[in-house]
Amino acid sequence: MTVNDNMNRNGAQRPENPTHPDPGLPLTGLRIIDITVVWAGPYSTMQLADWGAEVVRVESTTYFAATTRGALARPAMASVLAQTTMGMGMPDSEPGERPWNRSSTFNSHGRNKLSMTVNLRTPEGQEALERLVAVSDGLIENNLPQSMDRQGISWERLSQINPRLIMIRMPAFGLDGPYRGYRTWGNHMEAIAGHPLIRTYPDISPEYAPAGVPADAAGGIGAALAFLMGLRYRKRTGKGLLIEAPTAENFVPLLGEFVMDYSMNGRVWTQMGNRHFYLAPHNVYRAQGEDQWVTIACWNEDQWRALCEVIRKPELADDARFCDNASRYENRAELDAVIGAWTADKHASWIMERLQMAGVPSGAVMNERDALEDRQLEHRGYFRPLPHPEAGTHRAPMTPFKSANHPHVGPRRHAPRLGEDNEYIYKTVLGYSDEEYAEFDNKGHIGMDYDPSIP
Amino acid sequence: MTTPTPIMPLDDVRIIDLTHMTAGPFGTRILGDYGADVIKIERPETGDPTRSMPPFHKDIPGPERSGLFLFLNTNKRSITLNLKSERGRGLLRDLVRDAHIVVESFAPGTLDALGLGYADLKKINPRLVMTSLTNYGQNGPYRDYLGIELNLYAMGGSMISAGDVDHEPLKTAGRMVSYHAGYVAALASAMGLFQVEFRDAEGDYMDVSIFETAMHSIDMRLGRLMGYQYTGHMASRPARATAVGGGVHPCSDGYFLMTGGPRFIPNIIQMMGMEEMLEQPEWGTPEGRAHPDRIDEFLPHIIPWTLERTKEEVRQAAEKHAVLGAPLNTMEDLFNNEQFVARDYFQEIDHPETGAIKYPGFHNRLHREGADMPPRRRAPLLGEHTEEVLTGILGLTRQDIAALRKDGIV
Repeated sequence: MTVNDNMNRNGAQRPENPTHPDPGLPLTGLRIIDITVVWAGPYSTMQLADWGAEVVRVESTTYFAATTRGALARPAMASVLAQTTMGMGMPDSEPGERPWNRSSTFNSHGRNKLSMTVNLRTPEGQEALERLVAVSDGLIENNLPQSMDRQGISWERLSQINPRLIMIRMPAFGLDGPYRGYRTWGNHMEAIAGHPLIRTYPDISPEYAPAGVPADAAGGIGAALAFLMGLRYRKRTGKGLLIEAPTAENFVPLLGEFVMDYSMNGRVWTQMGNRHFYLAPHNVYRAQGEDQWVTIACWNEDQWRALCEVIRKPELADDARFCDNASRYENRAELDAVIGAWTADKHASWIMERLQMAGVPSGAVMNERDALEDRQLEHRGYFRPLPHPEAGTHRAPMTPFKSANHPHVGPRRHAPRLGEDNEYIYKTVLGYSDEEYAEFDNKGHIGMDYDPSIP
Repeated sequence: MTTPTPIMPLDDVRIIDLTHMTAGPFGTRILGDYGADVIKIERPETGDPTRSMPPFHKDIPGPERSGLFLFLNTNKRSITLNLKSERGRGLLRDLVRDAHIVVESFAPGTLDALGLGYADLKKINPRLVMTSLTNYGQNGPYRDYLGIELNLYAMGGSMISAGDVDHEPLKTAGRMVSYHAGYVAALASAMGLFQVEFRDAEGDYMDVSIFETAMHSIDMRLGRLMGYQYTGHMASRPARATAVGGGVHPCSDGYFLMTGGPRFIPNIIQMMGMEEMLEQPEWGTPEGRAHPDRIDEFLPHIIPWTLERTKEEVRQAAEKHAVLGAPLNTMEDLFNNEQFVARDYFQEIDHPETGAIKYPGFHNRLHREGADMPPRRRAPLLGEHTEEVLTGILGLTRQDIAALRKDGIV
């Protein structure tokens, strides 16, 4: 039976999950099938799991989704260390017995979710999926459309099984069109959308363009919102809904003013680096210490005058080169040299505090340690320790917004180990008997290890 | 028989929009896309500051010509209201009485001082959801610090690891971090509405900090915060090429971003038609390909190959050979991109000052039975709906409004 919006207020219709006790959160009682990979998709289901939905990751012991539980199932030491230099990696840079349970990326977005394993390339695996669809409220996936096709996962089929299902599909470019089958990651999709060329350095070759992934975060938030919208649509119509949320189409609006300037004026912005469209100062300056930086910007004359006072050059405020924003923008190279000379021998956090006290917008470029020790985040209770059975206890952030009704929503349970919740899902949720479960085990569906053939 | 118009999820929801600048309006714009009636409250005469911010249509400034404003405020109605006057505040309270959601982006404490904080508004509408969007949140030592895209990303995002190892860290383009926070505010508002409608909760108050939304997610910051705790190593900016075959390569008409590495290099070599390389142990064996010397050795092979081709030619070859990569597009490339054209992504919206121009399209497409996505309405002129809203919702007369206008209340 599908969980009903009104019946499950107290989670009464939902079988008790021994490893995942009912937290009494807003989305308690809703079940979501999670077939997401890499980052944008998992980030969306993380939002919903945080707020209480029972998110069931459908995984497989015979297929390793690249870059979801790490780069490889059984990475060589060199690969583990390579991840470390990118700021990711595994506890103590050791792959451990089951490296797939030790990925910093997976363990950060996998919290509060459950994991089952099933081989969807078999009839009985497909039957298990159908049973799961029948008792779920949503399905979220962000795969290449044809890999979903191959597994028979389509709106036409699933909505037959459960007409009240809310299905969120997040392909990179859409369910149709010439790029339907074009396999990309977030950074490639962002290049198509135009981001890195705008973002990169002004005075050196675009060969140095950074590969960031801001789009994935927005894609995740967008898909979580889409699911809530689907629920409201269902409540009003009694029907499920397919929402197509291509990450590229979700991302282009984040470049809105560039789209509009091209559309209105034919203007093409490239290689902006840290400069603003029209404000100066507005840059990143070197501070004292190894790889230490601080940002400073002014958007009005009061801020500019205050900055001149703090850097003990009050005469600059009336200097013809800098006396108004237009002059400063014109002469920003000289301006940056003056400011950079002042910042170079001072600590970034001191500069930030000193300038903010004087009413000048400034922020230290915070590395991971700065963030984990930051006093604002500390005051706000932003991080909470979360134990993981194979990775140890580490601090994880609460939700990205705070609710007065539920002020402590955040990490409750560790990211699921591969197949950790098989027994609960097969027996309690899907209703398979002990014998049937043993049969799934015999046929290789059930497990907490990837098949030895997987590298 | 007439078919009933298919509904949009929020087309019976009213939002009082007290946001301005970029983050908040982006969030309410998204809720407007889902059908909500977003009533934007603007300051009389000047309106939202983005009305006077570039880019302007044909570079001619004017309150109805800012591309930034036009983009951020589609599907909204605009009324002017002077919240410094008691009558203006009274009208706002009247509007809040039957609204579902209030979204605001004033500095912390501003609305409380006006008697319009959550504690005040909850008294007149106990089921109200109120979302506050600020730079650093409603409390804490940074509460009153100033914030702009640049420094909020520096503090919250992964700026430290964005860019080249020998150069300064880079922000993201434009106002992406602010928009992202607006998106989170839309999600927060929806989560509040869900509680009220599905869980019979009284209203809720949502506190969104741009700093925290950036810290949460942008550039996979979550994974990096965990990675640092796991290994003691902080993220750093990479060198130009860190993986064999990978990096941004010059083409005849631009640049192409390619993902390299020992796993992908055979595909790249096949794409280049240089299969004979795979017979050499350096390239033909996994150990050979993984050697760090291969990174520099491959550049003299790949760069001449990409230089002889356009970035679109390289893209097609990459797609064909399952090489991960993409061109570094300009906005012009994006507008002409075959995928975006085929899906009719960019939307033409007419406007009295600019005529019909193209806008970014919908974030999501709802596949409702027998219905396309509804068209977007252009951004409102300043105060365009003052009379419509105050007469339609509050039952004021045109004489009342004339008097309010005379007194500078609207």
